[in-house]
Amino acid sequence: MLRFTFRRLSLFILTMFVLTIISFSLSFLFPGDAVINHSGQINATASELQILNTAYKTDENIVSQFFAYLQHILNGDLGQSMASQSPISSEIRLLLPATIELSLIALIISMTVGIPLGFIAAIKHEKLGDNVILSLAMLGYSIPVFWLGLLAIHHFSVNLGWLPSAGKLSLLFEIEFVTGIQFIDILLSDSPYKWQAFKDATLHILLPACVIAIAPATIFIRLSRTVMIEVLSASYIKAARAKGLSFNQIIFRHAIRNAMIKIIRHVGLQFANLVTIAMVTEVIFSWPGIGRWLIESIYQRDYTAIQGGLLVLSCFIFIVHILIDFIYAALNPLARGKKYGS
Amino acid sequence: MARDKIYLEEVFPSPFMQLWSVFRKTPVAMAGICCFIFLVFLAIFGPMLAPYSPVDSNLDMILLPPAWHPEGNVSYLLGTDELGRDMLSRLMYGTSLTFGLSFIVVIISLVIGVIFGSLSALTKGMKSSFLNHFFDVVLSIPSLLLAIIIVAILGPGIGNTVWAIAIVFIPQFIHITRYAVKEEFRKDYVLASKLDGASNFRILYYSVFPNIVERLMSQATLAQSAAILDIATLGFLGLGAQIPLPEWGAILANGLERFYIAPWTVYLPGLAILFAVIATNLVGEGIRHALKVRKEN
Repeated sequence: MLRFTFRRLSLFILTMFVLTIISFSLSFLFPGDAVINHSGQINATASELQILNTAYKTDENIVSQFFAYLQHILNGDLGQSMASQSPISSEIRLLLPATIELSLIALIISMTVGIPLGFIAAIKHEKLGDNVILSLAMLGYSIPVFWLGLLAIHHFSVNLGWLPSAGKLSLLFEIEFVTGIQFIDILLSDSPYKWQAFKDATLHILLPACVIAIAPATIFIRLSRTVMIEVLSASYIKAARAKGLSFNQIIFRHAIRNAMIKIIRHVGLQFANLVTIAMVTEVIFSWPGIGRWLIESIYQRDYTAIQGGLLVLSCFIFIVHILIDFIYAALNPLARGKKYGS
Repeated sequence: MARDKIYLEEVFPSPFMQLWSVFRKTPVAMAGICCFIFLVFLAIFGPMLAPYSPVDSNLDMILLPPAWHPEGNVSYLLGTDELGRDMLSRLMYGTSLTFGLSFIVVIISLVIGVIFGSLSALTKGMKSSFLNHFFDVVLSIPSLLLAIIIVAILGPGIGNTVWAIAIVFIPQFIHITRYAVKEEFRKDYVLASKLDGASNFRILYYSVFPNIVERLMSQATLAQSAAILDIATLGFLGLGAQIPLPEWGAILANGLERFYIAPWTVYLPGLAILFAVIATNLVGEGIRHALKVRKEN
């Protein structure tokens, strides 16, 4: 396990290094001066520009420029937003928790809906149930998320009036920002209307999270179906059946456990996909997260913000990726010995 | 058992024909390919068949509902938008933008990906390992995020969208070609032609490619359905096709403000995207199913 940890950590560091190279080179690819793109100070005076030039070592070669940039990032200085002139790290600190909350809840919804449906489809392989579930999965996989979001708002918020259509909490409630994750903040606050706020936050997150969850859920359906069919045809299932175990015992005690291990392995890859969908959904539902902020900063040609957003969002995805790898390795001893890429 | 075709040579269908014979027997896949061909036809001939211009406004016919609605007008079959532009014509032109461009995207990234993928499959050691790690990094950045970043560099516009999405899709083609070529190179028939003295390039071109082309096709359909969604999403966000262009995502974004008084301006382009993606996915699903059946026989 120690070697496994070491290997994953070195992979993480390497990946982050490549990402910072990409982010660094973006400054040169974007229109405008690289130093201003690094720092975001568009209104810098001549003397301020001088300080920036020495800080980012622009008169030295490209390698020392990169390390100067890397040092700024490691110190938590991502520059300041060109549009609002406030530090990007503090803006991200406010926005990232909302995205984490939304995407994790969507991941949980998609897994709790998708995996059991996939198992049912596998157990009823090549029967009516299997075909119905597969066709639904195909539909959900093909639907454009922004359209689905609009239809959901139209139906559930406007026509039926069940759920709010925008934002993450009603303005009536005043919740202090502690962690940024709405539910934890509400539970920590000492407001007398705590539970009303909790209910309101749940109603707000329900619609966007379900819209995000649909596409990953269909992928989980297909994945768990394939894995389950594979597991059910394995010899140990045949042995369990020969022992005289009942159908429920075989499924719950042997098949599901073995299938889950293989599914967990793929959760990390799906997460990147889910975050992409979440970015678009945030725009539609006016969710105050990093995806909406990133797309808005493209409209405003805020290059420093785009760089910072790319770096932080990809970093978040990698951390989840590696966490899931650890969970997988902890559950499946066979995975620990394998070399990366083999 | 008596053979009824005693004088005829026994025919062994080529791998591609075997695939087609399985594919033909799946009704859903056939329905998918019919829709797909219909879309290709529209993408090529749509601009000639469209009854009206997609960009010229007609201020007498503003926000006309589709023809089946009591207030609809038969000469505007799917209604008009807020400038009196015919929705049907706009959607037909949009086919060649959204669906047609997704074709171009996939072909660009397929060609580049296959070239680099086969090159990286033939290299060994440090270089190969570095390439592998690098593409794994690029693959794990969400594709839309990367496309958005590239659009931010190049500036919004439909041409830049095509390049951005094509660049984003290259790594997955490299990945799949690399694995497929490596797998084929371990097989005996490659060894046979190697012993005949064929060069690596010759083996690749005459022996390996015919055997992996179906796998590439199945990946290409997956990529195409993703490309349609990505082009439409970028158009919807205002980063792809710009205002007058009848790209499906852009039409949808355009109808957004009047969603409640003219819902068809949002429903119809969405349905068009859904139809195109489902048709592409059905074809892909059919190819994958046929590949599986062929492997089992």
